Amino acid sequence: MEALGQLIGGFETAFTWWNLLYCLIGVTVGMLVGVLPGLGPTTGTALLIPMTFGMEPVSAIIMLSGIYYGSMYGGTITSVLINTPGEAASVITCLDGHPLAKQGRAGVALGVAGIGSFIGGTISIIGLAFIGPALAELALKFGPPEFFALMIFGLIMVIGLMGRSLIRGLIAAFIGLILSLIGMDPVSGAVRFTFGEAHLMNGLDLVTVAMGLFGLSEILFGMENLQKLDKPGKVKGLLPRKEEWRPTLNAIGRGTGLGFFVGLIPGSNSVIPAILSYTLEKRIAKDPSRFGKGAIEGVAGPETANNSYCGAALIPLFTLGIPSSPTIAIILGAFIMHGLTPGPTLFQNNPDFVWAIIASMFIGNLILLIMNLPMAGMWAKIAAVPPKLLYPLILIISIIGAYTVSNSLWDVGVMFVFGIAGYIMKKLDIPMAPIVLTFVLSKLMENSLLQSIKMFDGNVLQLFARPISGTLLVLSLIVLCLSVIAEVKKKKAGFASDVEM
Amino acid sequence: MKKIAWGLIGLSIAFLVGCSAQGGQAGGQSGQAEAKKYPEKEITLVVPYAPGGASDSTARIIAKNMEEKLKVPIVTVNKTGGTGGVGMTFVQSSPNDGYTFGYVPVEMTMHKALGLSELEPSKFDLLGQATMIPAAITVPADAPYNTIEEFVEYAKQNQGKIKVGNSGVGSIWHIASTAFANKAGVQFTDIPFDGAAPAVTALMGNHVDAVAVSLGEVKSGVEAKKLKVLAVMSAERDKNFPDIPTLKEKGFDVEVVGWGGFVLPKGTSDDFKKVLADALKEAVESDDFKKFANERGMSAVYKSPEDFTTFAEQQFKFFSDFIPTLDLK
Repeated sequence: MEALGQLIGGFETAFTWWNLLYCLIGVTVGMLVGVLPGLGPTTGTALLIPMTFGMEPVSAIIMLSGIYYGSMYGGTITSVLINTPGEAASVITCLDGHPLAKQGRAGVALGVAGIGSFIGGTISIIGLAFIGPALAELALKFGPPEFFALMIFGLIMVIGLMGRSLIRGLIAAFIGLILSLIGMDPVSGAVRFTFGEAHLMNGLDLVTVAMGLFGLSEILFGMENLQKLDKPGKVKGLLPRKEEWRPTLNAIGRGTGLGFFVGLIPGSNSVIPAILSYTLEKRIAKDPSRFGKGAIEGVAGPETANNSYCGAALIPLFTLGIPSSPTIAIILGAFIMHGLTPGPTLFQNNPDFVWAIIASMFIGNLILLIMNLPMAGMWAKIAAVPPKLLYPLILIISIIGAYTVSNSLWDVGVMFVFGIAGYIMKKLDIPMAPIVLTFVLSKLMENSLLQSIKMFDGNVLQLFARPISGTLLVLSLIVLCLSVIAEVKKKKAGFASDVEM
Repeated sequence: MKKIAWGLIGLSIAFLVGCSAQGGQAGGQSGQAEAKKYPEKEITLVVPYAPGGASDSTARIIAKNMEEKLKVPIVTVNKTGGTGGVGMTFVQSSPNDGYTFGYVPVEMTMHKALGLSELEPSKFDLLGQATMIPAAITVPADAPYNTIEEFVEYAKQNQGKIKVGNSGVGSIWHIASTAFANKAGVQFTDIPFDGAAPAVTALMGNHVDAVAVSLGEVKSGVEAKKLKVLAVMSAERDKNFPDIPTLKEKGFDVEVVGWGGFVLPKGTSDDFKKVLADALKEAVESDDFKKFANERGMSAVYKSPEDFTTFAEQQFKFFSDFIPTLDLK
């Protein structure tokens, strides 16, 4: 009850005109940063920090966190409309969001993403406010071995996304694994597959790769069929059909839980809950073959999960002073610059401050919902623009986006290479989802495995001796066995999943 | 005749004096004009790391302060990649017209020894140092040892069993913990993380036993009473933590600190360098930069171009000798 009183006090602070304005600026900038590929929330917050020097600390943090969670809403728009993810967390949304747009249901995809984001975001803020401190200690139990086990679990789940042919799916998965090896090995420091090119030393950038594989290849493919391209259907409303409500809401519920759980784990990022949510939805769906062709749950789940992640990821920051992602590290920097030290003492020493931030996040999410729902219809009309005009525009946006990744033409080149590779893979019917998924997961997996091996002095079996990692690994084994059994039973019909992109 | 001769001489003297006076004036004017001319347009500052990190924030605040003095905008550009190599090489190969300069961290003097790039201090004109941050040997608050001596004693009894997290293989904090281990005659198991923050998180979760990362990274953990710092690795005690001893005063002769400074492309004119160095000095010594540095656990330390050059050369020599003994790769 005490917490509730403080929250109301927080609303008093957040509802002053200036703070409302900063909240609005923050979420709007966040939306824009999310929409523009290449410009992610990390860069967005970093660039705006100098602007906050003259502000009250409360207003500054309200604005910066607005950018952070606002960007999760914005990234969806480009994923759905032009198959080009605006930021990393929305890569997964391309898989089903864009097919929906092709069917003229872009409004529905955006509408559902907006509603899911709002629900996920709001519930995770409630979690942050009321149960956060208790959960934070639990999050610390996640060391390298536990992280490794979680990544294995994620990879096993990816098997469900292999496409219509297991062999082709595996090829794609291994391409992703190999791509993630490029760059400096974090544990031995050895430089791999860089061919002496300094730009490759830090590896490839996920958003650049995804922009090429999804967005650019889409253009190339579309150009081929420019004459006989289906006219995009009329924009059909913003809300799902009556019979779609139940599965959509269920997916939103599961996405909220997943996102919140992953958010607690330091070192994770917002792509992981989206991947887990997508694979979960596909696994439990009655008819998994719909996925990749515009399944509404495939948009609702991941989009909810990445917003729910955002609120939960602030828990380690507020309660322990731990930044669990690069963007949060920048917000931590802003805290320090304004003379506040995040940590267990923050809730005790500056309760007014913390509760005002939390209250502002409720308001910010509401603003975003209001901004997104009516605008979804307007955005969706973009999908109806004739390809002749749309493609050059996408190309320009993609090139600028790739350039901003590290301010060099190198990334633009990388994007083109992956665009061509994506085109060839489409021709060969190799699914692209596994490439991106293994690319994200295996980097983190390799790190944590090598760290664990060093921690255990080479004894890998120790992984099973720790409760959390042991449980996760056994779960992965069970899922793997079930998949194999299902495969044997259904013979060729197994993995009957046609992820087509 | 004589009169005429004298008159001529007088005239010519007057003429000469006038000329030289005018020449002097003209010279003065052109000198002033030149000094005024630089800088006449915006200056680009290249930061070799992503926006938001300690390097980036340092560079941006310095740039903001230097702008006030130079009266031209300073545009900060992040050129990332190659663990800083891309951005630093970009500065090295930029035109030396005084309109491009770069931020460099301690890693600039380590790159060559690590085999990451061919960069070394002699390939730049060094402009000045801005920050210094010592390594801090940090353990969980509930660890059984309270002083650095007790920790070394414990480590000697458990050779190779103490797990020390660092911010990446060959990173400055990896070198800090190894240099300390060598002097103390103990052996640690090094566990590299992707940056200092995850290493500190692992320390809080008791997944590693100690870290030797920068004071700024452990500050909030110490204030939250989850961590304790046993010693710092700078020459003098840190102003922010005056109770914590240095390794030197405890008899371990080892000093490893992180630092940040600014460089110009080789061959930049001395006049331009002086203008920039003066602006940098004022920026580093300004109150708001000192405040920023303290909050981040760093110290604002200015070194002139000459001192910074000597210092960087010393650092380059130290790392070039020390890193090969680490047996990396």
